[in-house]
Amino acid sequence: MIKTQNLTKIFQTDEIETSALNEVNFNVEKGEFVAIMGPSGCGKSTLLNIVGLLDNPTSGSYLFNGVDVSNLRESQRTGLRKGNIGFVFQSFNLIDELNVFENVEMPLIYLKMSASERKARVEAILERMKISHRRKHFPRQLSGGQQQRVAIARAVAANPGLILADEPTGNLDSKNGLEVMNLLTELNREGTTIVMVTHSLHDADFAHRIVNLFDGQIITEVKKQMSEVII
Amino acid sequence: MFKYNFLLTFRNFRRFKSTFFINLIGLSTGLACTLLIYLWVNDELKFDKFHEKGDRIFQVMENREMEGTVKTTGQTQDFLAQVLAEEMPEIELATVVTPPNFFPSFTLLVAEKQVKGVGKFVDKNFLNIFSYPLISGNDNTAMTNINDIVISESLAKSLFKTVDNCIGKSVEWQIMDLTKLVTIKGVFKDLPDNSSEKFDFLLTFDAFKDLMGIKNADMNWNNSAPFLTYVLVKAKTDIGQLNSKVADFIRLKSKNDQHRTLFLKQYSDNYLYGNYKNGIEAGGRIEYVNLFSIIAIFILLIACINFMNLSTANASRRIMEVGIKKVFGAERKTLIWQYFGESLLMALLSLLLALVLVILLLPKFSEITNKHLELLFDARFTLTCAVMVFLTALLAGSYPAIYLSGFSPIMLLKRQFNSSLGELWSRKGLVIFQFTISVIFIVSVLVVYKQIEYVQNKNLGFDKDNVLYFETDGKVIGNAETFISEVKNIPGVVNASSMLGNIISTEVGGGMPGKVKWKGKEIMMANSAVNYDLLELLGIEMKEGRTFSRLFALDKNKVIYNEAAIEMFGLADPVGKIVDGQEILGVVKNFHYQSFHELIKPYSFRLEPQAGTNILVKIRKGEEQKTIGELQKLYQSYNPGLVFNYKFLDQDFQAQYVAEKRVALLSRYFAALAIIISCLGLFGLASFTIEKRTKEIAIRKVSGSSNWEIVLLLTGDFAKMVLISILIALPVSYFLVSRWLEGFAYGIELSWFYFIGAGFIALITALLTVGLQTIKAAKINPAQSLASE
Repeated sequence: MIKTQNLTKIFQTDEIETSALNEVNFNVEKGEFVAIMGPSGCGKSTLLNIVGLLDNPTSGSYLFNGVDVSNLRESQRTGLRKGNIGFVFQSFNLIDELNVFENVEMPLIYLKMSASERKARVEAILERMKISHRRKHFPRQLSGGQQQRVAIARAVAANPGLILADEPTGNLDSKNGLEVMNLLTELNREGTTIVMVTHSLHDADFAHRIVNLFDGQIITEVKKQMSEVII
Repeated sequence: MFKYNFLLTFRNFRRFKSTFFINLIGLSTGLACTLLIYLWVNDELKFDKFHEKGDRIFQVMENREMEGTVKTTGQTQDFLAQVLAEEMPEIELATVVTPPNFFPSFTLLVAEKQVKGVGKFVDKNFLNIFSYPLISGNDNTAMTNINDIVISESLAKSLFKTVDNCIGKSVEWQIMDLTKLVTIKGVFKDLPDNSSEKFDFLLTFDAFKDLMGIKNADMNWNNSAPFLTYVLVKAKTDIGQLNSKVADFIRLKSKNDQHRTLFLKQYSDNYLYGNYKNGIEAGGRIEYVNLFSIIAIFILLIACINFMNLSTANASRRIMEVGIKKVFGAERKTLIWQYFGESLLMALLSLLLALVLVILLLPKFSEITNKHLELLFDARFTLTCAVMVFLTALLAGSYPAIYLSGFSPIMLLKRQFNSSLGELWSRKGLVIFQFTISVIFIVSVLVVYKQIEYVQNKNLGFDKDNVLYFETDGKVIGNAETFISEVKNIPGVVNASSMLGNIISTEVGGGMPGKVKWKGKEIMMANSAVNYDLLELLGIEMKEGRTFSRLFALDKNKVIYNEAAIEMFGLADPVGKIVDGQEILGVVKNFHYQSFHELIKPYSFRLEPQAGTNILVKIRKGEEQKTIGELQKLYQSYNPGLVFNYKFLDQDFQAQYVAEKRVALLSRYFAALAIIISCLGLFGLASFTIEKRTKEIAIRKVSGSSNWEIVLLLTGDFAKMVLISILIALPVSYFLVSRWLEGFAYGIELSWFYFIGAGFIALITALLTVGLQTIKAAKINPAQSLASE
């Protein structure tokens, strides 16, 4: 599903050139659950952004579902992202002015789905995320765990094949964190590919494979046996 | 999508209430201003546009070269219309008309009923050229007989209480000592408000010629005359070609007069483009139309700038929303449409509020503009509103829409959202622009106010106060001397006299134009035929010689000039000298018989007691009401049933400055609005800046900064912006007010006070606007701010 070759990303400010990714070769198969780990500033989020088609690499290639997407324009990336990739963030990133239902519904609107279909889809997801009773509430009226569940609901609303999660439990206590990881695992089991950036070894244990980044390069890659994966 | 965007917009409005209200108030006031000015401008532009054949109606104008300059006038000879129609195949019809104010108002008599009205003499083609539709009668036959008259429906109602069955009835008209019996041949609909022509009835030009003894054979092309000539050209006539044909018309006819050129001017342009300078069109009322249109645009622009500034400043508060939308598939154009939709909704809400404001303010605005303005929701107005809303939304919302949607999702998600230098400068630049306009408005208000004050208080060279005048009509005409003697006997009357015309006129100034021959040249000069005591009544001071006196029978052959005339003649010791066959009896000091726009020109007084068309009465101060009552009784004892219509000389004086006073009043309101809207924007921007700098304030305080230093720091930035505005505005406003003052021959000196004063007002207002907020911000406990960060 994801195949990068010599992926390099250089950030250039007025005088300083920073190499965030340095010839990274990173592959993810359909249905995999991959955790990316590493110290702050090692390039985890940069890799996730490029994989999530939020940014282009400076050089190297990126094949998404077999299509070279390394040099797409912003509008082309947006088009490809829609319905194919879902995002979950550490700080939930829900829109304060929209209630739970509307937040989850938002990606479906950009897919130009009919109102009745959207309604049915959102109702089902909220039910599944056990947040249906909060459908009229606004983000500020929810706990952190509830907010992240809404964020996951939003990420899966369009049935994407890939979910990118950037420190999804970073702002949660252990109980809510576990709930979120269970949800992601469940989605993965149902066939959704998941790439997750995390600092937490505990969370990484839910993944099939752990990729360690350091100074913009993959230094180790640990593929776990299914028996080692937390289920 | 629409519902979703609408919901989001509505909730954003609710969340950022102060921004919403600042935008709403600013935009609605700006739109209300624009709509009011639109109504006024629209009314002005519609003047004289109701004539069905308007695009083919032209006035024949004349350029007269005199002493190195060209004077443009609409005054032509009485026979020009007829000759042009005969000799120019392009002309379908032509008509001659007596000019406005040529006669004082007429008195119309039907049996015992007497009614005053304004009339003009026109030839038979008049009703076929212009669209003054007859309710009864026939356009083609109504003015064919010498003693025909057509009257307005209002006049018909005044005379007969009905407009029905008026045709064929007889009416007697009277003016000065002239009377005539005429027959009603038509009743026309009352003139629309947007007609520059004002008359109650029309008489035939043949009747005028008969009265004046003008014969058709009297065609002296060398003479000048005061009549107006209008032509209806045939369809598809090339006006440029026709103009070149008529240019030399008089030159060819007169054979020896090489200084007069004719040209055709679209009749409907006369109202707005009435001024000429040295033979070239030099504006007129259109200047005020343009001025106020620009003011409207600027006020709306100031309000739009608030919207632009607050929306972009607000962007950081909405960064998350934009970022998430982009991540989940919102395309840039979708976001642009959403934010444009937001400004469209804002503009629409503002329009609704603006319409309420317009409805509330329209009566007062109509009063100021001296118009009957109505808010009619017709197709044109609705379309104007729609265009205005769309343009406002586009202007106010385009920049925020493009700006907000332009960030990459990465930047938004990483919150790498720092105002760029360019953005900061453009925001500051817009505030500077707002305050520049405000300072220009303030300078203009101060200068216009001082000039009006100057005009009101400057010594005119005669005493206009407590002098009333009325026309010598009815039986007063034949008994003027007796009547004046009786007026003088009324307690409260200081003096009474009479004169031909008036000492002040809004049209051409006092007096009548007349020719004086001097050193082989003919000089046009205003002159007044006056009665004894008039100069004394008006307090016009003698410089040399003496005034007219009953003790000297030969005074009737003598003349009194003003200083300007003597200067022009170049006479050192003028009294007793002969000019154009008349001995100079005395010299009066210069006085302002025209408005302060004009330099004092040569003027002469002749003694003609019988020529008086107006009786002037000087009343003792404090006894006006009682004395006017006595005057009315005396007048009505001569003219029972006739309304005693009088005017104070001061009214005529004030009428000379109607436009300036209107500008003064309106510019005061608009300047206040401009500064209020600008301050609203500044208030919003200050709140936002303080919110953004909360942490910085706290750190500075922790590091030892005093509250006062924090206030100085925060207000300093805004003060700098206003100071830059002042620096830009001062030369611009100097240029603008200097140009305005150039229109006055007598005006105030521009002093530094107006400019420094205006800058000071703007600066203090701005500092007050941001001051309270900065004091509040400086007082916040730093521990609290840092904790919340």
